Amino acid sequence: MDNTVDMNERDSLKIISEMIQKAKGSHFHENGTSAIMWGAVIGFCGIFGFLKRYYQWNIDFDEWTLALLAIIPQIYIGIKEKRNRTVLSYEESAMNAVWLVYGISIFALVFYFNIIPYATEQILSENGRKLVMQFSDGRLEAYEPNALSPLSLLMIIYAFPTLVTGITRKFRPMVLGAVACYIFYLISLFTTQTWDSLLNGLAAIGNWLIPGLILRTKYLKARKSMHV
Amino acid sequence: MFKELDPILHAQLRLAVVSLLIGVKEAEFTFIKEKTNATAGNLSVQIQKLKEAGYIEVTKQFVNNYPQTTCKITQQGIVAFEKYVAALQQYLNVSESQK
Repeated sequence: MDNTVDMNERDSLKIISEMIQKAKGSHFHENGTSAIMWGAVIGFCGIFGFLKRYYQWNIDFDEWTLALLAIIPQIYIGIKEKRNRTVLSYEESAMNAVWLVYGISIFALVFYFNIIPYATEQILSENGRKLVMQFSDGRLEAYEPNALSPLSLLMIIYAFPTLVTGITRKFRPMVLGAVACYIFYLISLFTTQTWDSLLNGLAAIGNWLIPGLILRTKYLKARKSMHV
Repeated sequence: MFKELDPILHAQLRLAVVSLLIGVKEAEFTFIKEKTNATAGNLSVQIQKLKEAGYIEVTKQFVNNYPQTTCKITQQGIVAFEKYVAALQQYLNVSESQK
């Protein structure tokens, strides 16, 4: 583009509209890595948790530790993507904020699940109270206060950023994944924690793994066509 | 009374850079160069002029030992661009009505 050529008002308008179009069509292409990783990790945790409970496997391993460990590769992926990015659109910036808030919310909720039983017991005991559970035969046993159906709550949170991203980017697989997630959430209201775990795994697969794989395929195709 | 067209913006490459930056939050030098088809030298000079006018913000850093220049439009740049477009519209309306 030459800067010395004289231009009239129409030329100016042409440059403006041309550049705005170019900026619009140059969104950073999401390669799906994060979605695939989280879909696989949470999907595995959910299905493994279900199998462990259903078949009563005697394995002393909390599968959700994997979700915590997955933060490490996520940080690496985030840094790498930031380095490779040449443009940041307002839409991407807003989406990044949505996913950041999601990350904070999910960990705040997991923290809540872990703290509430202990804190409730403490508060009750300070007031000289204790929760007990009465069985149908009249037996009484100490009851540890837990958040009821915690995996159902997690599924509501899973669907939120996926649906926002799907609607904003007009990416149907994510919208469908989020809808599936809400359906699994509704089913989980009527099932035991064993089945909730399976639903949780399926929700992660529908919500992230499948859309992530579709994104990855699109990304690789786009990259291939650019290098041909 | 016609509004005068901002001389900083009324230049092909500078107008292209600002028009590009108005649609994104920030963009790297390489991205702007690719989209405007400008030479690195010419683009550097025009970016410097826009920066001096306070229309864009330029951040330089090293990533993997390579220099990286990122540009971002400022509030002043947005206002100037809006005024420029308004002035353009005025000119275009007059030329249309004279036809």
